[in-house]
Amino acid sequence: MAANSWPESTRLLNKDYPRLDGLAKASGRAKYPSDERPEGTLFGVILYSPHAHARIKSIDTAAAEKMPGVKAVEVIAGPGKLVRYHGDDIAVVAAETEEQARDAVRAIQVEYEVLPHAATEAQAMAENAAKVIPSGNVRKGRAQVDGKPEEGLAKADAVIEATYSVPVVTHVCLEPHGLTARWDDKDHITAWASTQAVTATASELAESNELPISNVTVLTEVMGGGFGSKFGADLWGTTAARISKKVGGRPVKIFLDRIQEHLAGGNRPSAMAKVKIGATKDGKITGMIAETFGTGGVARGSGFPLPYVYKFTNFSREHADVFVNGGNSRAMRAPGHPQGCLIMESALDDLAAKLGVDPLVVRKANLGKDLLGDQTDRTQMYLEQIDIGAELIGWSKNFQPRGSQKGIVRRGLGVALHQWGGGGAPDKQVSCTVFPDGTIELKSATQDIGTGIRTVMAMIAAEVFGLQPTDIKSNIGNSTFPPGQSSGGSTTTPSMSPPCYNACLEARDEFFKKIAPALPGAPKPEDLSLADGKLMVKGEAAMSFKDAARKIGMNPISVTGKFSQGLSSNGVAGVQFADVTVDIETGVVKLNKIVAVQDSGLILDKLTWNSQVYGGVIGGLNYGLFEERVMDPVSGRMLNPDMELYQLAGASDIPEIVIHAYEPAAIKKRGVIGIGEPPTIGTAAAIGNAVSNAIGVRVTNWPMTPINVLNALAQAGKV
Amino acid sequence: MRDNVTDPNAASRRDFLRGSSVAAATAVLTQTAQVGMDEAAAEALATQQISAQSGTISVTLQVNGKALKTEIEPRSTLLDVLRHRLDVTGPKRVCDRGSCGACTVILDGQAVYSCTTLAISSQGKTIRTLESFDTGEGGVPHAFHQNDGLMCGYCTPGFVTACQALLEKNPNPTLEEVKKGLDGNICRCGTYVGVIQAALDAAKAIKV
Repeated sequence: MAANSWPESTRLLNKDYPRLDGLAKASGRAKYPSDERPEGTLFGVILYSPHAHARIKSIDTAAAEKMPGVKAVEVIAGPGKLVRYHGDDIAVVAAETEEQARDAVRAIQVEYEVLPHAATEAQAMAENAAKVIPSGNVRKGRAQVDGKPEEGLAKADAVIEATYSVPVVTHVCLEPHGLTARWDDKDHITAWASTQAVTATASELAESNELPISNVTVLTEVMGGGFGSKFGADLWGTTAARISKKVGGRPVKIFLDRIQEHLAGGNRPSAMAKVKIGATKDGKITGMIAETFGTGGVARGSGFPLPYVYKFTNFSREHADVFVNGGNSRAMRAPGHPQGCLIMESALDDLAAKLGVDPLVVRKANLGKDLLGDQTDRTQMYLEQIDIGAELIGWSKNFQPRGSQKGIVRRGLGVALHQWGGGGAPDKQVSCTVFPDGTIELKSATQDIGTGIRTVMAMIAAEVFGLQPTDIKSNIGNSTFPPGQSSGGSTTTPSMSPPCYNACLEARDEFFKKIAPALPGAPKPEDLSLADGKLMVKGEAAMSFKDAARKIGMNPISVTGKFSQGLSSNGVAGVQFADVTVDIETGVVKLNKIVAVQDSGLILDKLTWNSQVYGGVIGGLNYGLFEERVMDPVSGRMLNPDMELYQLAGASDIPEIVIHAYEPAAIKKRGVIGIGEPPTIGTAAAIGNAVSNAIGVRVTNWPMTPINVLNALAQAGKV
Repeated sequence: MRDNVTDPNAASRRDFLRGSSVAAATAVLTQTAQVGMDEAAAEALATQQISAQSGTISVTLQVNGKALKTEIEPRSTLLDVLRHRLDVTGPKRVCDRGSCGACTVILDGQAVYSCTTLAISSQGKTIRTLESFDTGEGGVPHAFHQNDGLMCGYCTPGFVTACQALLEKNPNPTLEEVKKGLDGNICRCGTYVGVIQAALDAAKAIKV
């Protein structure tokens, strides 16, 4: 019988537990895919385009092929092919050492016909722009209309019109994209891949090599970050496998270098919005008209939700994808939401300032079942979360209306609301095997991208079997295991914990059935229980779990658990506050404090949950203050494909961060909901609002760098 | 900034490779991109005249108390030699140009970026990677584990090593000194809160 609720009282779940692989990671013993160097490994190095847009006229690999150590040169973009961005793939060299492969890449002779490019949105949208794709650089989507926006705006007591923009940012996974592929024999491949999806990666490798998927094993014991950009083998992985076959099965290792990681490993689309929004004196929105666009590089995908979070009628929106000569965007941590959130929240804040109404009042006035989201009514959650967060940031004491501050160094507060889904997929499985020696093994083809699912699964099993999580073999990261969830959309934990729980319950019940007749006095299976590593008969400790396990005989008990309703749910709410200080002479923004109030249903491991919320906030403050892909319009190249001019927060940039798990009993009852994405959504918006509150003018362009802050002040004539 | 940058005896890879296409890529950042491209094109031309730059020499490196002998190229970084030739894969290659700290090792007592340290100039020096650290209670790795000062864990070796090096020099750091000691490292998952607490806890454990 599959369970439909989690136990009311728990020994391990909903408490702190340090992750199982934490010590291995903190002592350098954990082997990442990029650490693997199976016997005979060849190193693959990629030649990528130095041009934003070019046609390959000719490519000569003869010199490269003759260089020392070179075993194969594989051309990806041959004569006549287009390369469409700085960083687009052209060829791969595999050699005995990486140094040799790099030399050989430099010896490949490519003749380019350099074509005109459009590397920025402005370039792409200009008259007579170079065409990024033949059909034109701007593709309008279908307009969304609800009610009569113009009439709605006419009823408003105040209307604001503004533009907001946030640039392309890149994922900056610390472990680059890549894998090592080895043909084990004539029809089997093993790959050590840095991926968020072992199954999809195996499927791509199987398909591109015309093998049955069961002949491909993808291994991802641990991996160094994906953030939405690592859902398959990618061209680099399939090429590694192809070269491995060509060289008689020797393993071929291809991982991107840091530059190409920025250029081609995925990015988050930009977003620009022209917004007109109005409200009555009580803060109720009466109408909104938005024109938006963004770029996902040479691909579409710049869409984002807007209106966001709030419930009102009379809006219209038109969105356009703008194509530029830049790498393809990929899903990035809560795709679209940070952009939609900061545009909506900025507009609402500007409106509140114009109305002279407290920003919190305006937010509370427009809650309800949002029109574009998942139809979860989060009203009550937001109302309570706003109050909790306001208390933690000291809103009533410290908030001053925009424009009321004087002096060079000014302090401001800002707020933002966000939402996310994070539900579970109903088709995933976990096997639980109890061996006669007392070993309990869980297996599923999911992977731990840093969220802690390996540990959460072990906690669930330990809870059921009365053991410690360290007693459980929690084996994931192998594509040949029972079908597991890809790690995207905050769905891993809500997808994997229900089948895990069911597998453990069923295995335990079968265990009781099997051993009961072999126990002294032949008790009934329902008289048995497990606690503190012991088998209990009618509540009395009878023997150790290990001794009890011996009684199952020669064959292990193995059960595959499936999903069941009631253990996980969907649809979370969160509110964040920022407290900043801004120096209006230098434009430097200093974060004083960030408060994050977040629900995610029932929290299984509080320690790793906290880490994810802190991490989400820190990701968000990076978007808020630092991150920006800078494209050079002249050359069409990215100017900062590194980790110094592409800035990310360091330890000294981290302010006081207060997180609050919003989990009243009714929220816990909803079951497990994912947490990887929600807490990163609202931070940049809250920071932007705090900056505007401090300096008295809206900084319309993210990130809140000195130049953007000073420009906003200058445009407003304040400096 | 790691100490190898200021140590006059340590050859820096950036100096060594000046004029190569790696340095040309660096130039893009400081000059205009067009100049960078022109330089890259010039470098490509120059490379055509060099059939092979490879060539190996035998070195012995003192890694984690063991003398490890291997063949390296004079241009190989310490990081690449550790990872690709000696199977010491604790230090990670992330930015590969001395910005992020994931490759940090302790060289003669100093925390250095092994991606900007040449292996050849590390001969005769004591190289310690985090694989050699005490993993028991009271050790830095244990404090990171207990405070969940890691998520994906790819930056973690660098943070653990920087923390170890900091505490060896300053066993009683203030919060500000901890932050400063770890400012040469970058985490993308955003684990700083756990990392900083781990460093403070490890310092406390050392005192006991």
